[in-house]
Amino acid sequence: MKRNVAGLVVVFVGAAIVQLAISNTYLRYVKPGMRWMLLAAGIILILLAVADVLADTRGKEHADDGHNHHGLPRAAWLMLIPVFALLVVDPPALGADAAQRQSPVAAKPVAPKGNSWLANSAQGNAPVPLAVRDYAVWAVWEKESMKGRDFQLTGFVTPGKDGSWYVSRIGLTCCVADGTAFMVEARGHAAPPKNQWVTVTGEWAEPTKRADGDVAALTVSEVKAVTAPANPYE
Amino acid sequence: MSTPADSAEATKIPVAPGDAAPPTGPPPASSEPPTKDPEKEPASSSIAFTITLVVLVGLALFGRKLFAGLFTDDGVRTWATMFVGVTVQALPFLVLGVLLSAALTAFVPASFFARALPKHPALAVPVASASGVILPGCECASVPVSAALMSRGVTPAAAIAFLLSAPAINPVVLASTAVAFPGQPKVVVARALTSLGVSMALGWLWLLTGKGSSWLRMPKSRHAEGTGRLEVFRSSMLHDFLHAGGFLVIGAAAAATLNVVVPREWLDHVASNLLLSVVVLGLLAVLLAICSEADAFVAASLTQFSLTARLAFMVVGPIVDVKLIALQAGTFGPKFAVRFAPATFVVAVGASLLVGWWLL
Repeated sequence: MKRNVAGLVVVFVGAAIVQLAISNTYLRYVKPGMRWMLLAAGIILILLAVADVLADTRGKEHADDGHNHHGLPRAAWLMLIPVFALLVVDPPALGADAAQRQSPVAAKPVAPKGNSWLANSAQGNAPVPLAVRDYAVWAVWEKESMKGRDFQLTGFVTPGKDGSWYVSRIGLTCCVADGTAFMVEARGHAAPPKNQWVTVTGEWAEPTKRADGDVAALTVSEVKAVTAPANPYE
Repeated sequence: MSTPADSAEATKIPVAPGDAAPPTGPPPASSEPPTKDPEKEPASSSIAFTITLVVLVGLALFGRKLFAGLFTDDGVRTWATMFVGVTVQALPFLVLGVLLSAALTAFVPASFFARALPKHPALAVPVASASGVILPGCECASVPVSAALMSRGVTPAAAIAFLLSAPAINPVVLASTAVAFPGQPKVVVARALTSLGVSMALGWLWLLTGKGSSWLRMPKSRHAEGTGRLEVFRSSMLHDFLHAGGFLVIGAAAAATLNVVVPREWLDHVASNLLLSVVVLGLLAVLLAICSEADAFVAASLTQFSLTARLAFMVVGPIVDVKLIALQAGTFGPKFAVRFAPATFVVAVGASLLVGWWLL
């Protein structure tokens, strides 16, 4: 009976991906649309390992004559490092630390997603719930339609300098490697703890000037601690 | 995390019923270095197997408790998230790539490629470049596929042209570029033209300089005549995955490190100088290793830069980045990667400048 190390490593990698996909943990690292690709890739890897083990136990002579795949190519051991990281470090979703490494300035949108619906909706007292990434852009680049209105934002707390703090979200286009921080300066309220998820309600405020651009701001009237959403990214 | 542990236990049953049973291979006294010996079952394999199994199951059950105090630094955790994120994003595309390359090896006869491509290598290059349109995937998928093409007798120049064009000009990438730059179809056209041109130029460059040299480790067909097709498919898929997977991890670690260490602010200081900004965005594409289906969105967000510089970002990214260099070193040999990556970078930056000056 042969002990198939290659099969063992491949099955662990496959099982780790399947586990990520079915437990929603994958949302910390990639976009929701990747779920089926991850499941498929994990299942294919597990099947591959099972097929290899079966071929071994049948005692069939192996056709590949230049390679020994019971012992592993040395590089293949490295695949256990991400599995190790998942099992031991349990890497969290990107949060305040990643946001602090970026500038809080929102880039000028290439083609602004119109917020004309905002101007048309009733000028009532009810605060308008907005995505942080929309507010961070509109509060700077679509000022006129935002002035004097109340908004509600949900994001995590990123501490800034001198006791200031930001309501922030990370935007993903593909995976965490391209995560872009969207940050809104919250004024008039003491900073909650770093990385705490909050829903803040407040009025539009004049953006803060910085050397590299303007940062969206909100005069906060209410801060409510909330639990982190299943998909922490926008 | 119960699944990995469960699965490991499940595999353990067919593989090793009883750890005490001696291996049925040659006696442990074998003097051959264990990993070099293809035919015999090395003694160290069963030790490695047992240790790996015990360590992995142990980590799955107790890992977090044992190491709870060690990885609490915010920077370390951000790095770990980036590292796992890049790996998890790329792995399905790598699996797709090895699946396709194994299928090419097992089910497409070598004579097909001989018929499909022009006999003369210089003419085969543009045909291979153009056929990159048909592989809708990230750059990770194209490395094993082009290796399989080489092992099926396709001239390396054509396989290189395919390797470079497939991740850059496939419909998914061009569509996402169009979405990222709305109302600017010229960006899509410029990207497709530049990437096609670069892939052809490097294919021809290979014909001029690389032909017959020893630094490309030619991927060889490892299968004896008469082996069953399914068996060829299974073993070449496993082989390719094991070889490429480790290098993907190295690339992901490099990309995560650079993502965490390189501050994005230094970009603002170079945006005004055209030549410098093209080179810097090209380097950024190499360091960040963003997959080709998403890089257009990142390029679109770099609004302080000229369109030409952003074109360079999108042309360089799919064909040379830290993750790809690692994968290519694993597949074609380090000597190849050391020469190929700088050549690709220089040609890509030059072509971006040229096309940007002409079209953008």
